[in-house]
Amino acid sequence: MSSPGTGWEKGSVVAKRERISLGWLVIAAFLLLFLLVPLFLHDPYPLHIFVLVFHFAFLGTAWSLVSMAGQLSLGHAALMGIGGYTSTLLFMEWGVSPWIGMWAGAIACAIIGVVIGYPAFRLRGPYFALTSIAFAEILRIYVENTEVGPFGIPLRAAMGLLVPLRGQAPALFQFDSKEPYYYIALVMMCIAVGLSYLINRSRIGFYLTAIRSDQDAAEALGINSTKYKLIAMAISCALTALGGTFYAQYFRYINPERAMGLGMSIEIALVGVVGGWQTVLGPMIGSILLTPTGELVRAYLGGTYAGLHLLLYGLLLMGVILFLPNGLNDPLVRAFRRLEARVWGRAGGAGGVAPPARPQEKQPQQGERG
Amino acid sequence: MTLELLASAFITGLMLGGLYASVSIGLSLIFGIIRVINFAHGAFLMVSLYASFWLWYFFKLDPYLSIVIIVPLFFLFGYAVQHLLIRPMFVREKALVVEPIGVLLLMAGFDIVLSNLALLFFKSDYRAVISPVASTAVSLGFVDLNLPRLIMFFLSFFIAGALYWLLNYTEMGIAIRSVGQNRDAAALCGVNVYRIYDFTFGIGTAAVALAGAAMVPFYYVNPAMGTSLGVKSFIVVVLGGLGSIPGALIGGLLLGVVESVTAQFVPATSAVIFSFLLFIIVLLTRPKGIMGVLEV
Repeated sequence: MSSPGTGWEKGSVVAKRERISLGWLVIAAFLLLFLLVPLFLHDPYPLHIFVLVFHFAFLGTAWSLVSMAGQLSLGHAALMGIGGYTSTLLFMEWGVSPWIGMWAGAIACAIIGVVIGYPAFRLRGPYFALTSIAFAEILRIYVENTEVGPFGIPLRAAMGLLVPLRGQAPALFQFDSKEPYYYIALVMMCIAVGLSYLINRSRIGFYLTAIRSDQDAAEALGINSTKYKLIAMAISCALTALGGTFYAQYFRYINPERAMGLGMSIEIALVGVVGGWQTVLGPMIGSILLTPTGELVRAYLGGTYAGLHLLLYGLLLMGVILFLPNGLNDPLVRAFRRLEARVWGRAGGAGGVAPPARPQEKQPQQGERG
Repeated sequence: MTLELLASAFITGLMLGGLYASVSIGLSLIFGIIRVINFAHGAFLMVSLYASFWLWYFFKLDPYLSIVIIVPLFFLFGYAVQHLLIRPMFVREKALVVEPIGVLLLMAGFDIVLSNLALLFFKSDYRAVISPVASTAVSLGFVDLNLPRLIMFFLSFFIAGALYWLLNYTEMGIAIRSVGQNRDAAALCGVNVYRIYDFTFGIGTAAVALAGAAMVPFYYVNPAMGTSLGVKSFIVVVLGGLGSIPGALIGGLLLGVVESVTAQFVPATSAVIFSFLLFIIVLLTRPKGIMGVLEV
């Protein structure tokens, strides 16, 4: 397949026909495999790791929508926290099911995303990245130190919120076993990746590609760059808020340090960057690689060597930036296309087989003024 | 709310602001010249605090004296980081300016590595230096000031002044400024731009390490302390104007005063909301910052 949405095969009829062939088959096979995993695997711990893989793939994909506009968000944990807190508080205070409450969080986060994005997106340079960090850190500090927020909202400070247990209650997003969470996480990941794929192929996706390649040229063609960045931001934030509700319901506990902290923001971004930010499948690839590694290191070595998994993450991030600036997505796609060509017996064919060179994106050299 | 209380909050805010400014000036210099955000700035600060702490712990070296060792050491450290980590990115892109997000992420990775190395080796214990200076107070009549914080306040002006002198009155400084103004023209005039980048990064790192050593007498040392001050320094440099050294000084003092004065009206923890509001207002009304030099 050719990774839907790496962007370079758009509009090519040949590429389209190829995409329907092998790529979709592989995706269908993986999906079937994931659907069947809980039937054979009953041990909760491996299932838990699968849930985390899907969850971070979901968050990373949501995050990557902002980076498709060429912007780096390092504050997405805040949106996750707001989503989780909104649905949990609605449930605790008024008994609103998190299935409904999650949408309240999503709408709130879409609005917050636009409010935060508007001042920063008009500027070039690292302003958005810095604004997103500042927003998330300040929200975290505020919640960590506020027992009762405005309008008497019981934020419970650093204690965090415990989701009241209701046993097996599907209508309230609570289950006794891991399997339902597994399937919910899987569906959420599929929806996010699918949405990202559709956006990439839509008019908005083309606009975003144009904006991140050369904002001046895009604007000269009449694209309102701030508007499309804000649309991407709103969708990304709303999805992240939904992820926050899942997080709260799955762990049945949410606290500002973990769910709003810079560490979580960086983990979300890491999954996207390592896999290939600005690509559709990248965050999923990143999560499949990183989440189990981090989780296993944390589980087996975290006791004696606190912080070791983060140390590995940091080294990996540096390695990827230095040696694979577009993430793991590109080499994997290239390898896959070579394989695809061989499967279809067209190996050795000239230009038709090798993947067309990805057009070099002219990076917006933002800081340059002289 | 008496006037006296407000005045003492203002003075305390200036002391706090001096700390923010001292920490931020190096970050602003690096952005101004190399056009990259050193995301590991907070981690550099944390490492410099540890360096000063261990010098005191093992050699009983007073933190203020340790500056003599720490500043050259961190100059070399910053020089090496730019030379070995960031420079390859410029070389790869064959450009004098790289897409800033790549370097930001690289340094974010370095930040994670440094913070967690510190966590691995030093554990998350809070450590403090026992120094006779730490508990000395200076009375201004209506407010008593902690001497190390007062020193910090003056140090912010000293760092800004020293950099001003360096940039304006030395040959190296003039070369650095020329690169900041127009790197292509500077290269044409025979300035080795990459080498200037190395030096600038070293100077910026030495500046933050100087602030770090002077913080040790009144600040707890632990691996997580770099993050919060790192984020504060990002806010400060945007407030003051990315790349402007007087901007970082004024932005730091302003942030300190705003935090301290609003804390008189609302709980101190809610006061951080106001510093963020200030940040957003500046972005909306004057995006290049108070002393901004950068076109946006």
